[in-house]
Amino acid sequence: MKGPWPKAAACGLASCDTCGRVAPVAIGRCPRCGSTLHLRKPDSIQRTVALMIAATALYIPSHLLPIMTVVEMGDVSHNTIISGMLTFWRTGAYPIAIVIFTASILIPFLKIAALSWLCAAATGRVHPSPAMLGKLYWFTELLGRWSMIDIFVVGIMVSLMQLGNYMTITPGLGALAFAGVVVLTMLAAMCFEPRMLWDRLDELAADLPPNPTPPKS
Amino acid sequence: MSPWPKPPGGPRFAACHFCDTLHEATHVSEGTAARCVRCGVVLYQNRPASLVRATAFSLAALMLMVVVHSFPFLTLDAASIRRYLTLVNAAVALIREGSPLLGWAIVLFTMVVPLVISGGLIYVCGPLMFGRLAPGAFQVAKWTYRCEPWNMVEVFLLGVLVSLLKLAKMADVHFGTGFWAFAGVMLCMAAAVAAIDRDELWDRMEVAKS
Repeated sequence: MKGPWPKAAACGLASCDTCGRVAPVAIGRCPRCGSTLHLRKPDSIQRTVALMIAATALYIPSHLLPIMTVVEMGDVSHNTIISGMLTFWRTGAYPIAIVIFTASILIPFLKIAALSWLCAAATGRVHPSPAMLGKLYWFTELLGRWSMIDIFVVGIMVSLMQLGNYMTITPGLGALAFAGVVVLTMLAAMCFEPRMLWDRLDELAADLPPNPTPPKS
Repeated sequence: MSPWPKPPGGPRFAACHFCDTLHEATHVSEGTAARCVRCGVVLYQNRPASLVRATAFSLAALMLMVVVHSFPFLTLDAASIRRYLTLVNAAVALIREGSPLLGWAIVLFTMVVPLVISGGLIYVCGPLMFGRLAPGAFQVAKWTYRCEPWNMVEVFLLGVLVSLLKLAKMADVHFGTGFWAFAGVMLCMAAAVAAIDRDELWDRMEVAKS
């Protein structure tokens, strides 16, 4: 399909994911860097959805299980992400409570919601509006790493608070689950193919029936 | 330094990575960017003094990393015990206290990935300044770009600040030299990665190879 804007895929040209070189997809491998060429990321919807389901499954235990266990003068207390945030809030450290709430609770949730919407748009179930959804995708990729903050906090606390009988902190399973959520949502965002949004838009403009399967590489 | 060379073999094309619109890859003057005619996303940009800046900032980041690992990050005084935190300590503590995966994640995201990115940029861009290609430069450049999204230096720094506030009530905590050096690593890494456009780097490598 050729519109007023020629698309690389319509000319049989693929841009290399690694080095950006545009070459005919028929030759299979990028002539410059040797990476596999494909018009669109392979199985992007399936991969994104699969990683998202795995991330959602881990999201619940990551907030229910303790991220660290504090043993202070013989008293054992289990800290979850939410209880840590509430402690900050109660002691009046509002900015830091908001940072933790945003990084640990809001961003992973918003990422999964945003990617679900993007996948729905890319398969033609929701109207694709690339200008707005593109910004959404950009934000999803940009914010992803920041959720790791709580994991790093656990690491720092555990290594500093080995004070024998006075206070000891050990990491909990919740931290592991949460690290899994962050890594899986980052991978899911990387697997998503934003060019599919424009493909759907062009199909709508050409008044073609939406085609839910991406072009094979 | 020589300007961005055009690789041999006729006109080159650039496809927008966002909307896949095909453009002829024309030369843009230093300090300007080529944007997609359809969606406005930056296709490629010609950074001034790209190779020199990428090499210099990476070298600075690498030297600061040595400082980071030689000095404590935080110093903590509690119950008449003084403890020092270094980056390696944090990872080792997690590995020892029953969370080896998390420990290795810290090693990977705050030590290995920044090292690969800055080391890779020096290895590729350094010889390119003299029009030469280091052996295996294509593989190194590939891995450098693959590592980029996983660089979490700035996230770790924010983590240090949050821990500091968490610990402030229970103990006396001070910033160490390592913390400031790590902040320097963060700035240098950001400058090094932004110094050279991907397309320019690969075009230069292709010209140096031929």
